[in-house]
Amino acid sequence: MSVIKCENLSKKYGEVEALADVELEVKEGEFFGLLGPNGAGKTTLLKILTCQLKSSRGKAEVFGLETFNHFKDIKTRVAIVPEQESPPSFLTPREVLELVVNIRKIDDNQIDYWLNFFELDLMEGRVCRNLSRGQKQKVMLASAFISKAKLMFLDEPFINLDPLVQSKVRQWLKEYVDDGGTVFINTHLLENAERLCHRAAIIHQGRIQSLINLKDLKKQNLTLEKLFHEIVK
Amino acid sequence: MNRLILIRMLQEEIRLNTSFASGKGFFSFPILVMISGLLAILFADVMIDDIGYRDYLQILHISAIFYGLFAGSLAFFGNEFLERIFGYFGLILGLSTTQPITQKKITFLYFCKEIIFYTLFTMIPALVGAIIGTAYTDISLTNLLIFSLTLYFSFCTGISFSYYISSFYRISLKKTILSAIIFIISYSVIFYNYEITGSLEWYLNRQINLLFLGAAIPIILSLIATMNIKEYNNTTSISIIGYKNRFKEYTQKYNWAKEIGIPGIIAKERIDLERSKTGTKMFFSFLFPLGFLTFMNWFLDRGLPIQIDFNTIFYGVMIGFFGTMLYSWLNSIDTPQFYSTLPITVSDIIRARLFLFGTITWWIPLIFMTLISYMSNELSLLPIGLIVMITVGIYIVNYTAMSTGLKTNSALFDAFVFIKFFLVSVPPMIAMTILSLAINHRPSTILVALSLICGILSLLSLAFYRKIESKWIAESFD
Repeated sequence: MSVIKCENLSKKYGEVEALADVELEVKEGEFFGLLGPNGAGKTTLLKILTCQLKSSRGKAEVFGLETFNHFKDIKTRVAIVPEQESPPSFLTPREVLELVVNIRKIDDNQIDYWLNFFELDLMEGRVCRNLSRGQKQKVMLASAFISKAKLMFLDEPFINLDPLVQSKVRQWLKEYVDDGGTVFINTHLLENAERLCHRAAIIHQGRIQSLINLKDLKKQNLTLEKLFHEIVK
Repeated sequence: MNRLILIRMLQEEIRLNTSFASGKGFFSFPILVMISGLLAILFADVMIDDIGYRDYLQILHISAIFYGLFAGSLAFFGNEFLERIFGYFGLILGLSTTQPITQKKITFLYFCKEIIFYTLFTMIPALVGAIIGTAYTDISLTNLLIFSLTLYFSFCTGISFSYYISSFYRISLKKTILSAIIFIISYSVIFYNYEITGSLEWYLNRQINLLFLGAAIPIILSLIATMNIKEYNNTTSISIIGYKNRFKEYTQKYNWAKEIGIPGIIAKERIDLERSKTGTKMFFSFLFPLGFLTFMNWFLDRGLPIQIDFNTIFYGVMIGFFGTMLYSWLNSIDTPQFYSTLPITVSDIIRARLFLFGTITWWIPLIFMTLISYMSNELSLLPIGLIVMITVGIYIVNYTAMSTGLKTNSALFDAFVFIKFFLVSVPPMIAMTILSLAINHRPSTILVALSLICGILSLLSLAFYRKIESKWIAESFD
């Protein structure tokens, strides 16, 4: 069953075409990577899929529902980590997680687990405004992971994280997908994509240039980096 | 290099403003200002007949100083200013943190940019409008140009004073207050026997040394301010550690309001309000316009042939109108970007902020109203004043929320939004002001008329509130 589907999807900002005729399908239980250089259209596509931006043309569906028209239905079923780490400035990490579980109407018994997981328990009593960028990113990830959503949209989630935390996050995401979750990740960190993704698409100048099955790539003794350089050069 | 930085800063300011408002809206603003300049000159004769020549010119100079203060406050004290240095805007002002240029220099260039920007986009269009107006009046063009120059000095005094104060504010609040007191006392001593500004004294009484003094004041203020800028400043406006978790407590507290808004959002916004100490800022932001109104009241009493007393009902109208400021403050506390990750809409946040406006910030206007009516010996008018204040406040805040959403400050820079705001807010305010001033002549008729207007405004408030959902539900938090 496909959880994400794009048909002929385009987005224009005035004269600039940020996305052009994107065709994409992501199946349930897949770890899907959207790779591309800076300004390729990755964040624009993610914003359309997460109902934050209206497309100019074409169709974008999540769980079979057209995005933007089914804003609330989709957002209750997905978790989002945006490109910019922006947790509420005047809440402590615990309060942020309490806010998330309150809005999403889920149990709050996982809050301590996620605070420990990201070592945010050490930040007790500090408001997010006073945290480092890495710590803010941890709050954003914890807010997404605690939601127990079936589909996760992650935009450059590893930026600002130290290698130990990156490793922990990778491990958790793998287990999440093994348990039936779906991940749609935007990244230009090819090493992470190679380790995690089942399939990936390379986007360049708003167009999907290539759809890659990572297993097939390994069989052909090719690396994602080499392919990426060939397509994007 | 300085010239290039200045040009880039101006480009940046224009791009920033056009990103807030639409391009058309932003570039229409000078046209609006030009029309205001034209109207001011066309009605100058009437005003001079009513108020008197000297007092009219004084009012214009006071207005120019206040406009400069307002423009400077926006630049140097707004949240945006802090964001421009430390935050996600990443503007040229922040260059000193990564490039070999001092904060002193870059802040001074920023100040120059502010003066140039406001000169180009408001002062010159107003002058052009006034020049056009001279074709239809007896006012001489030469006189107009000379007087405009004196007004410009007053504008520069206002904006430089903001710069001067902001440079002390970076050091400490105590020094800010002290520096403001020193300046105001020195200024009062110097101009005690003269007109309110040096340039006006020169214009009216031809005292050339006072013109030089008037021109020197903004230069001295900006020099002191620039010397004051240090490379490192303490920016710890909030505690680093030690916050007690309040979210659950507040969510439970606001559970009763779940039909109006989402208790979790209201709790979050309430915590923001407390920890950012915005309540204090809101309180002090009332002092400034109310002080101005009181001053104008005293000032007009001197010039008008008939006695005008701004009574408690009049202040009720004004304070109610300042509700826009409170709502605007609520929108300036924190970026709403995090909300984009949650299954909620922009209209949910607007409703939560309107709820806070009604339940948490009410004490600020109430304190001012009670104080004013007590000081004016009009406690008997306080109940009517309060009803008027609440009605006008709810009306204007609901309209502001409906028309500007979560971006009140920036949206009002759009000329189209501003004109609509003007048309919705000013007519009922004028009607209520006239009625309030006539309360002692025919009290029962005036009370009926006031009740009628309050009723209409209440119905319109409801209509605006209902429109919030449909207007903002599909809007993104970006």
